Amino acid sequence: MSDIQCVVVTPEKTEVDVRATSVTVPLFDGEMGILKGHSPLVGRLGYGVLRMQVDGQLQRYFVEEGLVQVNNNVVSILTDKVTPMTKLSPDLAAKATEAALTMPNTEVSEQAARRRALERARALTRVTKAS
Amino acid sequence: MANIRALDKRRKSVRNIRKITRTMELIATARFKKAMDRAAAANDYTQRITQIVTDLANAGLEVSHPLLAERPEVKKATTLVLTSNRGLCGGYNGSVIRAFNQTRSGLVELGAEPSVEVSGKRGITGLKFRGVKIDREYTNFEDEPKFEDVAVIADRLMDKFIAGEMDRLNVVYTRFTSISRQVAVCETLLPFAKPQVAATAESTGAMKADYEFLPSASSILEEVVPASFRVKLFKCFLDAAVSEQIARMVAMKSATENAGGIIKRLSMTFNRARQAKITQEIMEIIGGVEALEG
Repeated sequence: MSDIQCVVVTPEKTEVDVRATSVTVPLFDGEMGILKGHSPLVGRLGYGVLRMQVDGQLQRYFVEEGLVQVNNNVVSILTDKVTPMTKLSPDLAAKATEAALTMPNTEVSEQAARRRALERARALTRVTKAS
Repeated sequence: MANIRALDKRRKSVRNIRKITRTMELIATARFKKAMDRAAAANDYTQRITQIVTDLANAGLEVSHPLLAERPEVKKATTLVLTSNRGLCGGYNGSVIRAFNQTRSGLVELGAEPSVEVSGKRGITGLKFRGVKIDREYTNFEDEPKFEDVAVIADRLMDKFIAGEMDRLNVVYTRFTSISRQVAVCETLLPFAKPQVAATAESTGAMKADYEFLPSASSILEEVVPASFRVKLFKCFLDAAVSEQIARMVAMKSATENAGGIIKRLSMTFNRARQAKITQEIMEIIGGVEALEG
């Protein structure tokens, strides 16, 4: 038994609840792998790919900002939105980039929103190109 | 007797109405179940985020964030009113509007400059009728509010609060306490109430974990507080949606029952009138026969 429970929840519902042998989460400044017996931790997530080894198969999801909590061999991922990688395509990423670039950029709050959208679009482009 | 025909016609139309209200009741029941499931599914997130906040507090961190800051003077207050897009749900919208009026007069007493945002067509028309100036209207929330849509509103309100354009945010909505009890309430969401920390050994689990925070506890806090606010606002929308369906269910149930009663009464009058007509016709025939014999 070298597996850990991995739960992905969004405010709407629990999206994923599986037992995985390894989980790789996208933190805001890079990725982190989690295996069984990891020390307790709370981390901030960034845009990126969440990878899980479930029954020898790799499951991949695109997660948006949120938090990850590891405790007692349970990995809880709290995020606003999670999408299976199979539902993403380079077209989608291109559209997101375009939408982000056309966002208004005059006020401070708008700039922040634009920056976030751009970051998301960049992450989307990166992950869809890589797969 | 034209009366009989009129009665029969009326009875038929009431029957049709009963059919409609009955169907609406069934639809409301189905929607209520769906909305309820959604609300239950959303609980998981809330629980986990509360857990993280508790862990943060247990790590000896002072919980402070611009969203938690209490303003000494309330100059500008925003009220968000959650009503339904459709009617035929009994006193649901009426009680929300009543609760809103109370909040509003309280804010005016405080000398605050109120700004009003309304979700739901019913509330928009209702408040316009009462001469309330509405700053923003939303009609895109049906019985299944999407988190994405709510998050947009939440982000905007948070920005406004942090920028100092707003000192308080009240949300007037129908809180769901149980299937038989929903109350229209006014809740102050901003400044955000400090997350309740239940620092008992049971709630934190048998083993108290010593967490590592990446990148730092304060950075986590920066993420946690807005996330909790967003999810709290989302919960208000979910509660409102569930309560709306219950209100509609109850209203339609009593409408169906009422229609049943009316049909019963109408049938009785109809039968009596018919019998009276028959008796009268017999009397006329007998009278005629007797006149012929005589």
